[in-house]
Amino acid sequence: MRPYLAALLLLGALRVTALAAQDEGPAVGARAPVVQVPDLNGKPVDLGQYLGKRPVFLEWWATWCEQCEALLPRVRAARAEIGDRVAFFGINVAVNQSPERVRRFLEKTEVPYQTLYDQEGVSTRAYAAPATSYVVIVDRDGRIAYTGTGGDQDFLPALRRVAAP
Amino acid sequence: MRVSPVLLLLAGAAAPVVAQESKPVKTPTVVLVSGPQVGHTAPDFTLAWANKDGVGPADNPYQLWRDRGKTVVLAFYPKDFTSGCTAEMQTFADQYDTLFGPDVIVVGINADSVDTHQRFAAKLGLPFRLLTDPDLKVARTYGSYDSSGRPRRTVFVVAPDGRVHYRNSKFNPMDPKDYSALGAAVREARGS
Repeated sequence: MRPYLAALLLLGALRVTALAAQDEGPAVGARAPVVQVPDLNGKPVDLGQYLGKRPVFLEWWATWCEQCEALLPRVRAARAEIGDRVAFFGINVAVNQSPERVRRFLEKTEVPYQTLYDQEGVSTRAYAAPATSYVVIVDRDGRIAYTGTGGDQDFLPALRRVAAP
Repeated sequence: MRVSPVLLLLAGAAAPVVAQESKPVKTPTVVLVSGPQVGHTAPDFTLAWANKDGVGPADNPYQLWRDRGKTVVLAFYPKDFTSGCTAEMQTFADQYDTLFGPDVIVVGINADSVDTHQRFAAKLGLPFRLLTDPDLKVARTYGSYDSSGRPRRTVFVVAPDGRVHYRNSKFNPMDPKDYSALGAAVREARGS
């Protein structure tokens, strides 16, 4: 057996956690990374103030994202049901848009979360966010309870569980 | 053609996740990534293509060797009309001049049909061609394939001398730094 093949098998057997695969976010059960992401005015928002202290809903989105638009009614309904038992954040990706474009969008469209603008892609990298419409739900212990993408994803059961007293 | 295999361990690399909840931590898997590395000659290939205006003639497929002398960007991506791929291709289109500039050839590659490519390119107004790699032979040759059955999102910059100048096997379509690095690599290749 060639040495590199042996190394591969050994590492696989040891269930080594190494690089995150692309187009795939962190695993359910993993601890949610704590990052700081600016708001639309550039003021840093420390997600560490929320993660591990209360349930958190995160969605990476963009003004040009059709799947995000399709998902928006579900997020609105979820926020209306869950209220402030979960902290809701919408993280804009700084790809192919600007804070000004997001502001113009928000003038016309009500969103059910605090809007952040990840100018440097810090949260995108930390969460290996694979696409816009990517949702991560974190329980009150700071562990990831759900990840998904798409305009028709059903995150509500997971959100209800983490929001339960 | 020199194609030295290079190993890259990716724990947790499996089929793209649509949604997951209430599952244990995913079982890590190991993916072998090979293909041409920086400095190696980019393997030649011939593929059918489409652009926003239509499907390319069957007797005039895209052939990499014909672009020798130019800088070429090969963008393997999983699937047309998905959000990550839309983000990547739309950004390439909207920032074409600053990312790539004149005389640079950009092609997107996956297994979708030329008809699907044509619709995708027309919808986004892409100023470049999309190539069809139906059995993913080219993706495999370039180490841009994994167990998902789709191309791994990988971007190559091939310099005018036909050698790979830049390779990103983990291109994140939502990370502005990855676009900056790609643009810098293209500028370097054009000057090399």
